[in-house]
Amino acid sequence: MSEPTLHYDGDELPIADGDTVALVALRAGQHPAHGGTLCLSGDCGNCVADVDGVPWIRTCQQPATPGMTVRRHPAASAPPTTSPCAPAEVTVRHTHADVVVVGAGESGRAAAAAGRAAGQAVTVFDATDGAEVMAMFAGPQLVVRHRRATVTETTIEQVHAHRVVLATGAAELQPVCPGDRLEGLYTPKAAAAVVAAGIDLGRTVTLLPHHPPAPASSVEEQNATSASVPPQNGGVREWVGLVGRGSSGAVGGVALADGSVVPADSVIVDLGRSPRDLLARMAPGVPVEIVGPAAVAHPLPDPPVAGMVCPCSKVIVEDLDGVWAKGFRELELVKRAALCGTGTCQGTVCNPHLRAFVAARSGSTPEPFTGRPAARPISLAEAAAGYEVEVLRRTPLHDEHVAAGATLDRFGGWYRPWNYGDVEAEYWAVRNDVSIGDVSTLGKMLVSGPDAVELLERLYPNHVHDIRIGRSRYVINLNERGHILDDGMICREGETRFLLTWTSGGASVAEMWVRDWVETWGLRVHVLDRTVSHGAINVTGPKAAALLARLGIGGGELPRFLEHRHLTIAGIPCHVMRLSFTGEASFELHHQIDRSVELWQALLHHGADLGIRPHGLQALFGLRLEKGHIIVAQDTELDSSPRRVNMDWAVKLDKADFLGRAALIRTAGLPDERRLFGLTMAGPAPLEGSVVRQQADGEVVGHVTSSWWSPLLDRTVLLGWQKRAPHTDRVWIDGRPADVAPTPFYDPEGRRARG
Amino acid sequence: MNEFVETLLDLPWQADHAPKAAYDVVIIGGGGHGLATAYYLATRHGITNVAVLDASYIGAGNTGRNTTIIRANYGIPESVAFYRHSLHMYADLEAETGCWIMHANRPQLWMAHSVSTARTEQARALMNEACGVPSRFIGPDECAEIVPQLDLTGGGRYPIHGASFHPEAATARHDRVAWAYAQGALRRGVHIWQHTPVVDLLRSGDRVTGVQTAAGPIRAGTVLSAVGGNVTTVAGWAGVRLPIRTHALQAFVTNAYAQEFPGVVSSNDLVFYVSQGPRGQFLMGAEFDRYASYQQATSYTYVQSVARKAITVLPFLAKARILRGWTGICDVSTDFSPILGDTGVDGFLLSTGWGTWGFKAIPAAGEQLALRIATGATPALIAPFGLDRFAKEAAMADPSSAGTR
Repeated sequence: MSEPTLHYDGDELPIADGDTVALVALRAGQHPAHGGTLCLSGDCGNCVADVDGVPWIRTCQQPATPGMTVRRHPAASAPPTTSPCAPAEVTVRHTHADVVVVGAGESGRAAAAAGRAAGQAVTVFDATDGAEVMAMFAGPQLVVRHRRATVTETTIEQVHAHRVVLATGAAELQPVCPGDRLEGLYTPKAAAAVVAAGIDLGRTVTLLPHHPPAPASSVEEQNATSASVPPQNGGVREWVGLVGRGSSGAVGGVALADGSVVPADSVIVDLGRSPRDLLARMAPGVPVEIVGPAAVAHPLPDPPVAGMVCPCSKVIVEDLDGVWAKGFRELELVKRAALCGTGTCQGTVCNPHLRAFVAARSGSTPEPFTGRPAARPISLAEAAAGYEVEVLRRTPLHDEHVAAGATLDRFGGWYRPWNYGDVEAEYWAVRNDVSIGDVSTLGKMLVSGPDAVELLERLYPNHVHDIRIGRSRYVINLNERGHILDDGMICREGETRFLLTWTSGGASVAEMWVRDWVETWGLRVHVLDRTVSHGAINVTGPKAAALLARLGIGGGELPRFLEHRHLTIAGIPCHVMRLSFTGEASFELHHQIDRSVELWQALLHHGADLGIRPHGLQALFGLRLEKGHIIVAQDTELDSSPRRVNMDWAVKLDKADFLGRAALIRTAGLPDERRLFGLTMAGPAPLEGSVVRQQADGEVVGHVTSSWWSPLLDRTVLLGWQKRAPHTDRVWIDGRPADVAPTPFYDPEGRRARG
Repeated sequence: MNEFVETLLDLPWQADHAPKAAYDVVIIGGGGHGLATAYYLATRHGITNVAVLDASYIGAGNTGRNTTIIRANYGIPESVAFYRHSLHMYADLEAETGCWIMHANRPQLWMAHSVSTARTEQARALMNEACGVPSRFIGPDECAEIVPQLDLTGGGRYPIHGASFHPEAATARHDRVAWAYAQGALRRGVHIWQHTPVVDLLRSGDRVTGVQTAAGPIRAGTVLSAVGGNVTTVAGWAGVRLPIRTHALQAFVTNAYAQEFPGVVSSNDLVFYVSQGPRGQFLMGAEFDRYASYQQATSYTYVQSVARKAITVLPFLAKARILRGWTGICDVSTDFSPILGDTGVDGFLLSTGWGTWGFKAIPAAGEQLALRIATGATPALIAPFGLDRFAKEAAMADPSSAGTR
């Protein structure tokens, strides 16, 4: 059996047991990326590469698997997104813990033990065990990535905790000096890991700080001791930078202040530490306990003189000097002007050096800059896993529509039939014969209780108390500003029992809106939303009554216009509302959704010889436009008062109070030039949204909200705004004249709807 | 070493060590809007006895926390005219100031995934074309020609019906816009005082006569509030109530990738947008948080939601890695339009209601408010956006700014 290998920029490199991708490169005598000190702890970004088509993978954190393909990023530019990669396979799990401890080092283990001793459920995550804590959010909520064998397979754990303990330790400082981008530079921990992996570092020299600081605490001391690699050069001498071995890119030695060079194959940079507290800094207000070396105020490094301060964004000391000289004289301004600290390592490498730079020039030491989620980059696939934007609802008749060849579209969170392939035929079926439409998406709400009338009188600007039992009324809703929110029907079923309907788009917020007001006013009512438990089919057209007669409803039983009744149709209990949106006699059959398909099929079957066919929204929108009925949110705007859309008739200011009344009274005397007009024109319908002008070459004074070429009227009918007075009887749309016309355009006396 | 390090402009801070006792104009808020107003006061009107005060460093608020999109395709003629002017001013800003604000043309596609939103985008294109902003509705094939990475099926759930196309949209580096204006203002003698929080307004009778800072009072002929996020507090000191609620708007960038993405892609149905910045990072945002808040915190739910939306129509982004999230604090008016100019209180003007659309308005709003301060008369371009419009039932409800963008 041949030894396992992976592809590294075209080379086949052998994998030893337990290798990370970075170690595979180092084992082959290569730097995993393009030079720079390696921490092999996930702190810096000096080892990032494209692994199996996914760029920006920290190779020191990624287990190597045979056959992997690794590509270094381009040396001077960003990696492409175009390399092929396997689809992401992300498993999501949600967990809870009393205490989450991040870091399984000594202080982490102590914190975990203390928590467990106190009887708490403790979860410990440690990146060295493959559990990277990516980010922390308010909650506290932590997002943890559990690495699996490939870069595209992960498990994302969302942990909801009562308490978070950061025992993340300290990151090792990286050198900022000439030669700091060479290969062969290691932090002490990295060097230890490389040696432990059986890789020969050759001659090593250890860099120590120029002015070794006093140990900050015993914890720090202990930690430092356990991780350090003993200096090999036997003695401390003043160094100024690193020199390369020829032009190989590899380090060849350490340059000393006296001009001499101490030769080395590898250099270990033991320059101190900085707290690994990025997680704590990215969730302001979240109580986090920091313990161990992460809690220690490690001394800052010497102010940088030359070299690469921010390897992620390639910012050098001269860049900092330059922006400082230009007046960017505090940490945040320097950071933003030099674009320092916003790369993959999120400032872990550069924050201490940048602070030292600012401290040296300003005389005061700034706080570290704010942390930003994520501490370790989360892929969009990982973040999206387990999350859906919206639940697209299907009506109980969805399969019927699909079988009938309907074009379905999303409206207000529902899939609805837009048409069944022949809009004009659907239109004529309504006007001449009979048609059915699926209106199951209408909001349907039962309101009952002793204060039901009081509630509705306050909610609606129209009268409610005088609606007789068995009768219905069209109503609009206003907000407190007197602007139209929605419209629908009120059906009175008893003294204190009403069925309300809402537009499909408004239904989702209607229930919350009503309940809010019930609570605000402290009224005794029950609210039951039946939007999804009840379906509704609109039977419309001059032959609608004939069709219902075939299904067992005698002429005397059918409700008259604006009446409603409970009837059994085709053996199915229905609440039948007689109204009209299409302009023809219409019966809305509300019923429980388990009978929807049966009812739909019965109607189609018994109406076959009457010329029945279902209609979609496209025909419906045209039919209603011929009647001049508005569609809220299409023909109205955010601030449309009833006056603007000529619906003052739906408002009874003589009522004691209702939502919006105060606003309407206050604004009643104000000039208001904005009006919605009915318009007609010859020729084809202009696009909805076309602008309206009062002269052919005049300014834009509004736009067309609805537009439909009427097959019956043989002209185009429209609704459109004129928002500037004086209003004109003739306007210009698409360079064509259109004339203001009274609505309804069709059957103005409403004989057909009542007939 | 890094080509994006700021090397052109400098900030020639005033030599004084403390603010003067009085200025002709005091501007509260050293973000883009405050600094631009100071710049245009100095350059267009020779008014330089001006102080800009900021509670933190310049550009620390929403100017440094937005998504840098510059576009004009709003929904009502008054808005289109205003943002169109701003778009043109942005295009000239580098030439005028000699600064590199990384201004780059980034054509915008505002996608529709349903019949009803296609209608909305069609309307947006028609309105803008009629108001002098080149715009047209394009079909799915043309969308794919412009942005080949689009999945026209929208993951099977959000098929792309088309998009309104706004070829003149652009992006610029947010910080640099603030700095360019700061440099120009400082060079002409304007004072900019950082870390000088205003804690109250000075009043004399019905007039506002200055500001109280943490370090002491400063008198002023005119006080302009150009703050973001706390405007109801500042206006409250003058007794002015505002129809504004403050919401957080989150956004994030990914790691950097090779330049492959030509414009700004927005989605009407999904409510999110993405662009690629000059450094190669993908920048994504969506609507502001629904609840009112002053917290500059990122939430994972938001990150998840935007990530889901983005990969639904741009599946290539699945492998992109989310690097940094941030949050701005947006003052949202009830009609989703700005509130500019007079407040009914002498000596106190406002530039607010910038919601999530303030960055693109910086040049035009600064120029027009400077004109208002210099002449005492409200220019026609911003006249529709006065605070008194609410009492007059003449709100500027603009469906094209609502929510996002």
